[in-house]
Amino acid sequence: MSAVEIVLSVVKVLIMLLFFLNMAALCTWADRRQGAMVQDRVGPNRAVVHLPNMLARGIVLLPPALFGVLAIFSSLGALAGRAAAERFTVNVQLAILVGWFSLLVLCAKVRSGGAINKAEEMFADVDPRSFFFAGLGVHALGLVAGRLVPPASMPLAAQVSGFVLGGVFLIVALYATSRVPDGPIPLRLAGTLHAIADSIKMIWKEDFIPKNADRILHGLAPMLAVFSAIAVMAVVPFGPDLCFTDGNRNGTFDFSDLGNLVATVPASGACNGFLVKMQIIDLNVGILYIFGIAGTGIIGAAIAGWASDNKFALLGGLRASSQMVSYEVAMGLSLVGLFLVYGSVRMSDMAVWQGANAWGVFVQPLGFILFLTALCAETKRVPFDQPEGESEIVAGYFLEYSGFKWGMFMTGEYIELAFSSALLVALFFGGYSLPFLHADGITIAFGDTMLFQYKMTHLAVSIISALAFFGKTIFVTWVQIFFRWTLPRFRYDQLMKLGWTKLLPLAIANMMVTGVVVLALRNAGPAADSWLKLLADITQGFVAVATLAGFVALVVGLLEPVERKKFLASSAARFAAAMGGVKPEPQQA
Amino acid sequence: MPKRTPSNPWTKPAGKPIEGKAIPRPRRTAEVQAYLPEFLRGMAITMRHFFKNTKEMMLGQKPDPVLEALNEGVTTICYPEEKRPYPERFRGLHRLTLRDDGSPRCVACLCCSTACPAQCIHIEAGEYAEGDKRRGYERYPKTFVIDELRCIFCGFCVEACPCDAIRMDTGIHATPYDSREQFIYRKDLLMEFTGRDGSRTSANPRHEPGDPTHPGLSREQMDH
Repeated sequence: MSAVEIVLSVVKVLIMLLFFLNMAALCTWADRRQGAMVQDRVGPNRAVVHLPNMLARGIVLLPPALFGVLAIFSSLGALAGRAAAERFTVNVQLAILVGWFSLLVLCAKVRSGGAINKAEEMFADVDPRSFFFAGLGVHALGLVAGRLVPPASMPLAAQVSGFVLGGVFLIVALYATSRVPDGPIPLRLAGTLHAIADSIKMIWKEDFIPKNADRILHGLAPMLAVFSAIAVMAVVPFGPDLCFTDGNRNGTFDFSDLGNLVATVPASGACNGFLVKMQIIDLNVGILYIFGIAGTGIIGAAIAGWASDNKFALLGGLRASSQMVSYEVAMGLSLVGLFLVYGSVRMSDMAVWQGANAWGVFVQPLGFILFLTALCAETKRVPFDQPEGESEIVAGYFLEYSGFKWGMFMTGEYIELAFSSALLVALFFGGYSLPFLHADGITIAFGDTMLFQYKMTHLAVSIISALAFFGKTIFVTWVQIFFRWTLPRFRYDQLMKLGWTKLLPLAIANMMVTGVVVLALRNAGPAADSWLKLLADITQGFVAVATLAGFVALVVGLLEPVERKKFLASSAARFAAAMGGVKPEPQQA
Repeated sequence: MPKRTPSNPWTKPAGKPIEGKAIPRPRRTAEVQAYLPEFLRGMAITMRHFFKNTKEMMLGQKPDPVLEALNEGVTTICYPEEKRPYPERFRGLHRLTLRDDGSPRCVACLCCSTACPAQCIHIEAGEYAEGDKRRGYERYPKTFVIDELRCIFCGFCVEACPCDAIRMDTGIHATPYDSREQFIYRKDLLMEFTGRDGSRTSANPRHEPGDPTHPGLSREQMDH
């Protein structure tokens, strides 16, 4: 292993660690926030840091000003041909985007904080949606107008558009800075500071250990819980393999080769240079490693329950360990069908197979449901949160924990949540692959009929794929948190019954049926293969269309005006209405 | 013949079957038992609430939490920043209204302290100096103390006052302090508070003896 490979490994470990630890912190916030939004409460938004005024102005001023100056400086040199046209388009679209978005923000601020001049009063009267629609119109207009520029004057147009973009950035920066109110600025970040405040609190809290507790095991248990949650992320691929050429032709991969990322790779992803996997380690046992390490989490829970010298903790530990042991069986068996289809337990092979064929959720729908259920039970979250029933056994196995040890249990739980989402993405939602995005660019093809092709560089494809993996993971985590706010919890006997009498037989049936079908298809001949390929492409098309439709529905839903029925029931309400609603003034209290 | 015990209406009458409303068993159709369709329906409901409320928070269209009886939506108020306005007749901390010359309207008649069920008002009445036209006609409070910890905010003192000298219209909620001593409100503090409209006087005009508007007898008109 050369030095560069060690450095790259450290970088990959850092990427995964930072992503999952931050996800854990964000999940603690998102959990409360989603619950609040579902149940009509405000949720966490009270943690606040008062920024000094100059710092706030600097934050508002510097980044956009820097972008503006960069845009102007990068436009000083003339471009030619296709590059000039691309730069012109990008500049114009960016300027339009920055323009309408700033106007939208200004409108919101003026509406909530009041206008200081005639122009702002005018903005306050405009419906905020108009800015969005007008922005879309100007975007389209910019694309059309760009076609009218003659090719000969395109370099000049690129330069001018660069100056305009820089100017827009600078104006926005200066105006926003002038509108920063005096005095310290409260920074809330929508309540995400709560996670930081909580962890600071937990670090300084007293670490209480019961008198008769086993001090060593009591300290060891949270470490085991966090260890199992962190160690499993080693084998999850978060991007396609990067291909480097041997620049100095010395036959070894060294630091100077890091700059020699190949420009393009063929659709097969073949690489005749040095491969760097976007995966901490590509074990051939892959998913089995995950099962093995995740199994040690049971030990953490069991030891925590035993070492606390508390009946409730012991019961919680028993419940946790028996639940996890039971569901581990179903979890492992529900994936066997998937291994038969993919023909491998190596995580990177699975991602490649899904990118080339169909996503796992389409080839193994029943396996997906079984695995998802078992995974929820493994992470011990609602509806399977038996180990910590407040009304029955209080906090379960971490009842006697406080301070940072308790924080480690909670962090471990939320890391597990984020990691289980990553696992679902890697196994069932195509890993880092996106529909129709191949190693050489976008190719929309159904069977043998090619509809559309757009070549992209290796770097662009790699970045988009990695972002796709993390984006999908965040989305699945978000959906998993919704389980908690939707489902009532099971009783403990129901939980055991579900695991042993429903999931396990279904998993075995799924495994056998899959085996038969896979054998039959393998012997069916080339005609069946081409039909399967077409079906796979149709599923890819379905995913693409569904994603697009979901996005459009989201935007339409956000733009739809809110209508409410109001009626005043009490004298207090009528009085408040006469006063003009709630005003943040101290005299009212 | 033994006396028949009267039938208890709360127990089952002898020989009669229990009558009651038949409660249907819960539906156990295949769809319900499969759990997944219901699960997806539930997810759709929670997500709809989530997006609706989030959008309103982000757009600043949160309904006014004070206008209660809104049937849906985020109705929490962020307390120290946003406050619920108290109703018009809210009884807050006491204040002593003033005359035009800045002295308290109180005539130390002890009606309020007598009416007070919590016995939290202590007044020491004083006579005006010799030669003052109010001497012998009315008195003034040398000390006027209200223990706001004992006060139950019933408003009887305001009702009892014949001179509109004590009011509870400051709109100030009882404040937390760190010692009991700070809850003892004395005359000068009580005279500093203003009503919600910002005035220290009361709306009812005061007719001093000697004023042409004074309805009663003045010292000069008395013949004894």
